[in-house]
Amino acid sequence: MNTAVQTPVQMTLTGVGKVYANDTTALQNVNLEIRRGEFYSFVGPSGCGKSTIFKLIAGLSEPTSGSIEMNGEELSKEDIGFVFQNATLLPWRPVLDNVALPLELKGVGKKERREKAQEAVDLVGLSGYEESLPRELSGGMQMRVSIARALTARPKLLLMDEPFGALDEMTRQNLHFELLRIWQKTEMTVLFITHNVFESVFLSTKVAIMSAGPGRITKVHRIPDYERNERFRSSPEFSDWVGTISEELHQHEA
Amino acid sequence: MSQESVAATDTVKQERLDTAGQKRTEAGRFTGKVREISGRVLPPAAAFLIGILLWQAVVMITGVPPYILPAPTDIAIAAAENAERLQTAVLSTMLSSVVGFIASVVLGIGAAVLMASSKMVERSLYPYAIILQTIPVVAIAPIIVIWFGSGLNAIMMIAFIIAFFPMVSNTLIGLNATEKNMKDLFHLYNASRWQVMWKLRFPAALPFIIGGMKISCTLAVIGAIVGEYIAGGSGGSGGLGYAITVAASRLQTPYLFTLGLSASVFGIVFFLTVNYFSSRLLRSWHDSELKQD
Repeated sequence: MNTAVQTPVQMTLTGVGKVYANDTTALQNVNLEIRRGEFYSFVGPSGCGKSTIFKLIAGLSEPTSGSIEMNGEELSKEDIGFVFQNATLLPWRPVLDNVALPLELKGVGKKERREKAQEAVDLVGLSGYEESLPRELSGGMQMRVSIARALTARPKLLLMDEPFGALDEMTRQNLHFELLRIWQKTEMTVLFITHNVFESVFLSTKVAIMSAGPGRITKVHRIPDYERNERFRSSPEFSDWVGTISEELHQHEA
Repeated sequence: MSQESVAATDTVKQERLDTAGQKRTEAGRFTGKVREISGRVLPPAAAFLIGILLWQAVVMITGVPPYILPAPTDIAIAAAENAERLQTAVLSTMLSSVVGFIASVVLGIGAAVLMASSKMVERSLYPYAIILQTIPVVAIAPIIVIWFGSGLNAIMMIAFIIAFFPMVSNTLIGLNATEKNMKDLFHLYNASRWQVMWKLRFPAALPFIIGGMKISCTLAVIGAIVGEYIAGGSGGSGGLGYAITVAASRLQTPYLFTLGLSASVFGIVFFLTVNYFSSRLLRSWHDSELKQD
């Protein structure tokens, strides 16, 4: 992977804060530098403002202080893909039409969007299921469809909000490999919210630790460039990182 | 191939096997269904037959005059004697209720989509949609007759009015019940209001709309018959409601029973027809079976 070489900075958050109308401070003084092609995880307890960061980056809400700067090319809303905890598929649409939705909403012609959707379906390993309806698929496969949908518009930035939180451990681990494979292939930047420390260490090049009340980033770790395979999961380095991050999470809990 | 992708293809294979396993059990379910239907259909059918026989027996034994309580055979004879009149009456009622129903579906959905597109419109009109629903049709029927003239026009109008409001409220509830996550997704992908309505809210509301249609089709029949009571006199055939008023005034009790029975049978058939088409429509919405055949 290319994490050893420093890629150009894609996005800089400087002193970003968000205070909601009811005076609750969701985020305070967030400073981040996200480089192109990074896999950036945000770990923290609920209420630490993880989702708020996403909304700000996606441009769904404005920060009340500080600034978010895109370096180099401007990121438009169309360059961002989204994956949520639940697959949020349209139950009346077969897989391919679900995957093509973002392109359809953009007004891309039928032939082109079906071709692109097909590529995305192949990429997540769902070839042969194009005409299946969501309810015919297992939870893991539905999540694959959801990921394919996010990829179909070829985003430069993929925002994933606890995407595997509702899946069983086996499925989750398989999807980890899938996601890493896709990430390496597409070279997009992934921002990944989770409360699962194992997951964050296994997937990420960087892990931001967050704490609540007010939501802030307490530390950012750079995870070295290990080979992410089954062996890594049981390596001492892996447990060391999990240990370090868990400890820091608990420190700030009190 | 790297280790990762090997693991990935393995899981897909596993998942594929799982769905294949599900298919197999579907096939074995058929015989069970036959048994279930016979278990459900036979007992009420038997009860019906016994009820008819008892009725016939009671009338024959007690010797109640037919203008008080006709025996099932009297009703059948009345039906045969008035076959032609009965047929025109049923057809007329059928026409009014089907037209009233279709109008209520089209305009009801239209009104609901309009209200759902704008909170302002909804807020200003929805209260009246509810209030109008509570007005007893019988009370305003004479006004409708004055406006539209006695006959088919007024009858259809009354059938429409009574069937309209359940369509509006059901559709509106459905359009407003869209999952928040899905709406967020559409907004994230910059969907226009038009797209949110026709690609998300409307298809998601289909089950509600169909629920409304099931209510409305029954009400349209009631509306048509009520309309015929009031406005069926002039303008030719009359329909079941009018025939009932005539038969009642002449104390043709067996024929009255025939008419009542015909009205119920028509109501049931109409409901089942709507039910059949709506479930076929819904099947493509959330049922896989039909699509793969």
